[in-house]
Amino acid sequence: MVNPVLFWIIAAITVIPALSLLFARKAVHVAMSIVLVMVGLATAYVTLGAPFLGMVQIVVYTGAVMMLFLFVLMLVGVDQREDLKETIVGQRWIGLFTAAGLGAFLVSIVGRVTIAVSDAPVEGEPDVVAVLLFDKYVLVIEVLGFLLITAAVGALVLTHTPRLRPRRTQLEVQRDRVRVGADPVNKPMPGVYARHNALDVPALDPEGQPIDHSVSRVLKIRNQTQDGAEFRAQLEDPSRKEGDR
Amino acid sequence: MSFVTPEIAWAPLAPLIIVLGAAAAGILVESFVRAPERRRVAQLTLALAALLAAFGTAVVQWAMLDGAGTVVLADMVTIDRQALAWQVLILVFGVLGTLLFASRTRAGEEAFTPLGSVAPGSTEETLARRKGFQVTEVFPLALFAVGGMMLFTAVTDLIFLFVALEVFSLPLYILVALARRRRFLSHEGALKYFLLGAFSSAILLFGAAFLYGATGTTAYSGIAAGLTSATGLDPLILAGAVMVIVGLMFKIGAVPFHSWTPDAYQGAPTPVTAFMGAATKAAATAALIRVVYEALYALEWELSLLFWIVAIASMLLGTVVALVQTDLKRMLAYSSIAHAGFILVAFAGFPDGALSALPFYLASYGLATMGAFAVISQVREKAEDGTVLGEATRLGQWAGLGKRSPLLAGAMALFLLSFAGIPLTAGFVGKFVAFAAAISSGAWPLVLIAVIASAAAAFFYVRLIVLMFLTDVPEGQEDAIEIEFSPYARTVVILTAVAVVLLGIVPGPVLSVFENAGVLLLGAAG
Amino acid sequence: MDPINFVILASVLFAIGAAAVLLRRNAIIAFMGVELMLNAANLALVAFSRIHGEIDGQIMAFFVLVVAAAEVVVGLAIIIAVFRARQTISLDEPAELKG
Repeated sequence: MVNPVLFWIIAAITVIPALSLLFARKAVHVAMSIVLVMVGLATAYVTLGAPFLGMVQIVVYTGAVMMLFLFVLMLVGVDQREDLKETIVGQRWIGLFTAAGLGAFLVSIVGRVTIAVSDAPVEGEPDVVAVLLFDKYVLVIEVLGFLLITAAVGALVLTHTPRLRPRRTQLEVQRDRVRVGADPVNKPMPGVYARHNALDVPALDPEGQPIDHSVSRVLKIRNQTQDGAEFRAQLEDPSRKEGDR
Repeated sequence: MSFVTPEIAWAPLAPLIIVLGAAAAGILVESFVRAPERRRVAQLTLALAALLAAFGTAVVQWAMLDGAGTVVLADMVTIDRQALAWQVLILVFGVLGTLLFASRTRAGEEAFTPLGSVAPGSTEETLARRKGFQVTEVFPLALFAVGGMMLFTAVTDLIFLFVALEVFSLPLYILVALARRRRFLSHEGALKYFLLGAFSSAILLFGAAFLYGATGTTAYSGIAAGLTSATGLDPLILAGAVMVIVGLMFKIGAVPFHSWTPDAYQGAPTPVTAFMGAATKAAATAALIRVVYEALYALEWELSLLFWIVAIASMLLGTVVALVQTDLKRMLAYSSIAHAGFILVAFAGFPDGALSALPFYLASYGLATMGAFAVISQVREKAEDGTVLGEATRLGQWAGLGKRSPLLAGAMALFLLSFAGIPLTAGFVGKFVAFAAAISSGAWPLVLIAVIASAAAAFFYVRLIVLMFLTDVPEGQEDAIEIEFSPYARTVVILTAVAVVLLGIVPGPVLSVFENAGVLLLGAAG
Repeated sequence: MDPINFVILASVLFAIGAAAVLLRRNAIIAFMGVELMLNAANLALVAFSRIHGEIDGQIMAFFVLVVAAAEVVVGLAIIIAVFRARQTISLDEPAELKG
């Protein structure tokens, strides 16, 4: 027999989070609630004399299946909102009505029957489970192997992309850059005037001509560059001081 | 704790082991043969060899079988004449399907996408196509599906039934998503097929849980015994039985569990549609027969209402909605829903005759379906610059096909007449034996509705025939259609056409074979 | 307390799962509804197994677990393929398939 308090706790931590399937807006919230449902179900299994299945439930469902759901949710973007407008008028109500009817129907059926409960239940310990698995159900186990192969292959067919373009080495990347006219080496640093924080002034080449591309593009766009005319003016007219711009 | 090795009679499982083993070997081929073209040849050879070998083995077993059959593993799997007949039928569909899977256009295009993982229309897709990529996994996946279906016809335990159902459904979900053209449709079809398929298998499982609760076992024989001995559990048993049957009706595609059919049929690559349409219906019917006759036979009176309602709704909705379709694949999908109704008619009153009538009905329906979709795969749209595009599935595009290709149009007309149940085609004999079985159990009002529905359905089949033969090619459309030539698809068209005619004119030998198959080893029924 | 109460609980969860499949447009949420339905069936199997005092029902639940895991893999692969193609997983976004 089962402890009634435990039953009601299990009922609360399964049914209430499960309702998020119907009412939660974000899929991530639903997934996290279902994780809780799975833990509740695992507790129920242990209570019902299936400790091994309870553990497997935690490992497989909360550990693997629901995490896989979460990975996919991250992949497709957690912010995916649901479009709530109806394509078929009244579909929402028809669906709700059908499901509520189904639930009421099933509950009323189960509520009406009484089945004698066994006094000496077999506990589902791993060794007991193992013997039965490889005895009566051995063919099912073997067929499940094929099912798992199918699932693995199917997932690869639908999601794995092999390398379609050859991998490019660093050498090839550099060659391609030079071929389209990029500088083989670093661009010259800006600034020659020691009197000034001179990022905004072009460098001079050995012949004394300014090198235009030594100044950052950003500064040019913002019109914050200097061409040196101001400093020439200072040299020619010593009365003007730096900082009187 | 002592462990006794279970007694398993492996020999009767030989066809199944060959098919599933070849599927697993196909996966290995996939990883060891790198060049796509060589891999394709290897996969095709392997698949055809395995299917033909399994076919041969099954036929030999049929010939050597003493009595009704063998229990392979107690309460789990039984190979009897009924199962062997269905397995042979599914293997035939498998061979024809594999040929269609391998068919290509003159330009060397398969029906499948070069790479399932890239977005349609992306540069990666173009790159993959140029590099000659091919999804050759379709062959092992089809083998897995065939193996699962063969198992589905032979299991005698509800949990094994559930597992077998998934074994053949999962590969089909994947195959539906792999169309080369109109990949959005293909993806959408696959998603709907998957969600509703998983939904239906969950319903089946819950029903199985109820039956287990009421009878203490999931083996068919145990359930049959439990039905009579259990007291006070009628509601539980009945709800469980209805849910199991509903789960199977989903796979047959009967109303109101049909909503995946049009989308999956239209979206899937045409070879997959052909295989799925023929083989899934056959496998699901076989499983339904076994569940009903071996486990739930005592509930005949209670379940008859369900069968009547679903059969009538399927026939009416399938026929009426097919009338207004403008897309050929969708029209055939709705016609398949109507055919699901005709299949269920044979179950009315659970007559013994259904055991031999339904294999014949599904054989005639499946062959015509495969043939019709093979024809569809050969009629292509053509762009103005002469490149051949996807299949021309709009009805209007088929106008005047009789002049373009008398062979294809003639074969298509034959398949349509068979769907309609016109005498001298296999479809007529199939409908005749199925309806006769229903009448034998006194369900004549249902048969009357079925005959009326058949007559109404004949209208849209004949409309297409008129369009093909009596209408001229529209002005300016002379170059819009290209008749493809794939030797594989042509082979399928010719084989199925010959089979449909033969089964229509001399059905005797095949009928008598299926007559022998009308016995279940562990039947609660005769 | 009679273990049959767990079957009632399973029926409630099953109905909630079915409602999610019928109502929600987000493919992933609908799919989680299917998972809940399978788990509800498992709970019913285990509860009946306890009632009958044997472990066959637990073994079946074990198989369902494996099947469900395989199903999740394939289902999520299809959902990812759909998302890559369309950047959305709503079940009736472009409604290209019309009756």
